[in-house]
Amino acid sequence: MVWQKDDKSAYEVFIKKYNIVFLFFLFLFICLSLRLFYLQIIVGSKYRKISEQQRLYNTCERAPRGIIYSADNVVLVENRLDYTALFYRLGREEILLSSNLKELSKILGKDIKLIKNNKSNKVVKLVNNLTIYDMFKIQEKKQNLKYINIVGETHRTYYYPEALCHITGYVGEVGTNELLTPNKYKIGDRVGRGGIEQFYDKYLKGQDGGWQIEVNARGYYIRAFKYIHPKIGANIYTTIDLKLQIEAYNLLKNTVTGKGAVVVIDVRTGAIKALVSCPGFNANNISKNFDEYLKDKKLPLFNRALQALYPPGSIFKIVTLTAALEILNTDHKRTMNCTGSFKLGNRYYSCWCKSGHGDVNLISAMAQSCNIYFYHLGLKIGVKNLKEYAKKFYFGRETHIDLPNEKKGFIPDRKWKEQKMKTPWRQGDTVIFSIGQGALWTTPLQMAYMMSVVANKGKEYNRPYIVEKIKNFDGKEIYKHKKSIGDIIKLSSNTWNVLHEALLEVVENGTGKRSKISDIKIAGKTGTAQNPHGEGHAWFVSYAPADVPEIAMAVIVENGGSGGSSAAPIGKKIYETYFNMKLENKDKNR
Amino acid sequence: MIIREKDFFHRIIHNMDYCLIFAVMILLVIGFTAIYSSASNCIMTSFKYISVQFTALGLGFIAFIMLASFNYQYYEHTYKFIYTLSIILLSSVLIFGSVKRGTKGWFDFGFIAFQPVEIAKIMFILVLASILNRKKVKKGLFLIHIFLAFFGHLLFIMLQPDFSSTLSYFPITLVLLFVSGIDLFYLFCVIILCFFAMSIPLVKIFLLQMEFLQNSVFIANFIVSLKNSLTMIYIIVIIILFIMSCWWFLQKLRIKISIIYPLILCISILLGCMASVFIEKSLKDYQKKRLIVFLNPKIDPKSSGYNITQSKIAIGSGKLFGKGFKNGTQTQLGFLPEQHTDFIFSVIGEEGGWIMSQLTLIFYWIFIWRSLIISKEARDKYGSFVALGLASMFTFYAVINIGMVMGIMPVTGIPLPFLSYGGSSIFSSLCAIGILCSISIRKHTYY
Repeated sequence: MVWQKDDKSAYEVFIKKYNIVFLFFLFLFICLSLRLFYLQIIVGSKYRKISEQQRLYNTCERAPRGIIYSADNVVLVENRLDYTALFYRLGREEILLSSNLKELSKILGKDIKLIKNNKSNKVVKLVNNLTIYDMFKIQEKKQNLKYINIVGETHRTYYYPEALCHITGYVGEVGTNELLTPNKYKIGDRVGRGGIEQFYDKYLKGQDGGWQIEVNARGYYIRAFKYIHPKIGANIYTTIDLKLQIEAYNLLKNTVTGKGAVVVIDVRTGAIKALVSCPGFNANNISKNFDEYLKDKKLPLFNRALQALYPPGSIFKIVTLTAALEILNTDHKRTMNCTGSFKLGNRYYSCWCKSGHGDVNLISAMAQSCNIYFYHLGLKIGVKNLKEYAKKFYFGRETHIDLPNEKKGFIPDRKWKEQKMKTPWRQGDTVIFSIGQGALWTTPLQMAYMMSVVANKGKEYNRPYIVEKIKNFDGKEIYKHKKSIGDIIKLSSNTWNVLHEALLEVVENGTGKRSKISDIKIAGKTGTAQNPHGEGHAWFVSYAPADVPEIAMAVIVENGGSGGSSAAPIGKKIYETYFNMKLENKDKNR
Repeated sequence: MIIREKDFFHRIIHNMDYCLIFAVMILLVIGFTAIYSSASNCIMTSFKYISVQFTALGLGFIAFIMLASFNYQYYEHTYKFIYTLSIILLSSVLIFGSVKRGTKGWFDFGFIAFQPVEIAKIMFILVLASILNRKKVKKGLFLIHIFLAFFGHLLFIMLQPDFSSTLSYFPITLVLLFVSGIDLFYLFCVIILCFFAMSIPLVKIFLLQMEFLQNSVFIANFIVSLKNSLTMIYIIVIIILFIMSCWWFLQKLRIKISIIYPLILCISILLGCMASVFIEKSLKDYQKKRLIVFLNPKIDPKSSGYNITQSKIAIGSGKLFGKGFKNGTQTQLGFLPEQHTDFIFSVIGEEGGWIMSQLTLIFYWIFIWRSLIISKEARDKYGSFVALGLASMFTFYAVINIGMVMGIMPVTGIPLPFLSYGGSSIFSSLCAIGILCSISIRKHTYY
């Protein structure tokens, strides 16, 4: 009695249904297989990553940042180590900890308590700012303090906090915006802000180390995998001449307003020897006083040497003179009478010397900074050519120095005025343009660099620089500034000769007399940038020695009055310091 | 007589389905390895688990030999006795049983605890198959028989309360009804009934648990009134009256519809509502949450959704080759809850990778396929039905459990037969294999 044979019709009905059930079960298993394939093969890597993240926990030991040196290897910025007592909450019984805490309190002589802030927080800070003595005391009694870890934490120390603050910048905690970029920063990381600290952050910062720990589902410590030593950041060797820098800062600080900037460039290389912006801030405790600095009307956080825009005033006459010699072939001996004022249309443009300079030629006009002479030249040259020459001399162009946030400056032209002011460019605009007033804006760095180009007779280096080389912890050089010659300003040799003669004359007999020093010839130009809000800004740009130039310099004293009286003496003192130092070095070498 | 003895053993050895036995043995080995690995972070428990498992395996093997040699055809005639026995088992556990994880469903013998539900399921399959085999008697009557048997078991299991065990009764009954060549209309009624019985309580739980819905004043008031059972009754009465009046109007319009349709609709709604009250009382809070979390796991990723998320991570992170035996980070570090019981498959997935878990699935399919073949080749209708019922039970267990572990099925406490830790599960599975073999051995006997 087998039903496949005896009850054939019933069996056939059964088989029909049975096949459907069979296929349905097969279908279910295929679904499971597909899902399995999807989970493990297609998106497996994603889940592997999550599972790794769940079980691994990295304790962080921050790497010290690199050291910054001056040109003569004096340490400018260093790290101070101090120690923090930590407790890793990794499943250790907190009851065990309490005896440890008592012991620790005994050693340090103060009451220490575990602050229970957050359960998920795996690291609990017990004591901050331990001295090295405390650290040793604790290490001696390590037996009784099993659960307390001592971790070194570095703090940035700036040895010349005010004079160098704008060059070095400072270090601050990473901001919320920066944390948004994935995998770059962790919470609590320190990043450079401003100056070299910011520009060379990737070299300075080093690599954080720490333990890689496996934790279980409750966050308890299971085992440690490996310890990664923190890698100290690379050391930076700057071109800064410390003495010059401090001297320049003190000089500026003692001026009437205490605001201004000095940039000193080595003409032979393009290296920045000093870059001062006054007033400075104390880089050591900036985080504490930040709000105060922000409110300060003197703007200490502002790096005037690269970020402040001033009208160049009379020092723009260098450009006007060059353009006149090149385009108009002006005879530098031809004289003109300066009566003290100049009429254009129905407006009068006056010279700074109300009584007039009398008969002046090109060189004496430059020396005395006679405006009338240059009005005439400017009108003949025209805006377009003036702008072209201004651009050659670094107006409205970045110098690409290796410091952050450099300003470009601005040169006005016809188009700009029509768009912005809705009035056409007038002859009067050309007139004031030719003596460096109007909407012409420049930075002290640009002017210093211009002087170094003039001193080199048009030879430009690719850019001014402040960092000579970077060596990593092993002493291997990982960066070196490459000197190369960039554009050359092509002018006839006659033009250069006349320009140099004129600049020499300025210091010898002209407005820059107060910068004169014995033995060494200085070529320079003073300027007084008119300022609608008060006293004009005093400029003095120069290079020395005139025959074989070594350094070029730009000095600006904000609201300092005339360039000859307040900026030129500063220039003089800086030159004195520089050449005295050189003599001393020579003596030493002998 | 001697010849027949000889014949008997000869037959056993010849007709035994070795493929099935082989697949089951492989599954058991995989399961033992996985249990050992998942419990290995504590050596003592690991040995405890393994020894319990071995004891159950030994007992199960004895049961297997006995059931395989016993002629299954005797079950067909003694179905009333089997059913009574199962009811006695289920009711005595309510009296003498001990409580584990909130369920009073265990006979505790000290060294080993036994869950009678597992055996009751197999008994139910035997009973169901014999009722279906005798259905020629009267047309509608056998359905009533089936439902009495069905709800009898359901009632006792719900009283424990063990919600997840009742789930397996539905697909088994449906598959067997379908195969027995029942009129599709009846099957449709059954499905609708099941649907209502399941969905009304589910919807109600869902509404009660969804807190965001309670922001709306109207819905909140509605839900509050729903909680009051009197309002519930009013609503049901109104719906039933509405259906009946519709039917009456249609009748008046001379559109002839048999009275059975609206009656079945009403009965299923009534049953659903009754089940809803019942289920709500028997379901624990965490079980209700589990059901909702399946619908939207993001609601509660830390507690109820945690299991699904972690087991998905465990399986996925195994990738192609796995992390190696005893090296699964999810398993060893305790990220996976219930790793040795319900979530055993994710241990296999993590430590053995895709290769091992796919292999496990394949062996599972081979096992299911062999049992289906046994069902096809059985010498009588009763054997076919029993084998098919057992096959569908195992399929259902596997699909629900593995689907749950991979996040495509709701979290229910259903174990994976042969693989999960659990003495009763292993024992009852081996009993089922014994019955399957008994059917397989006797497929060619002509007396």
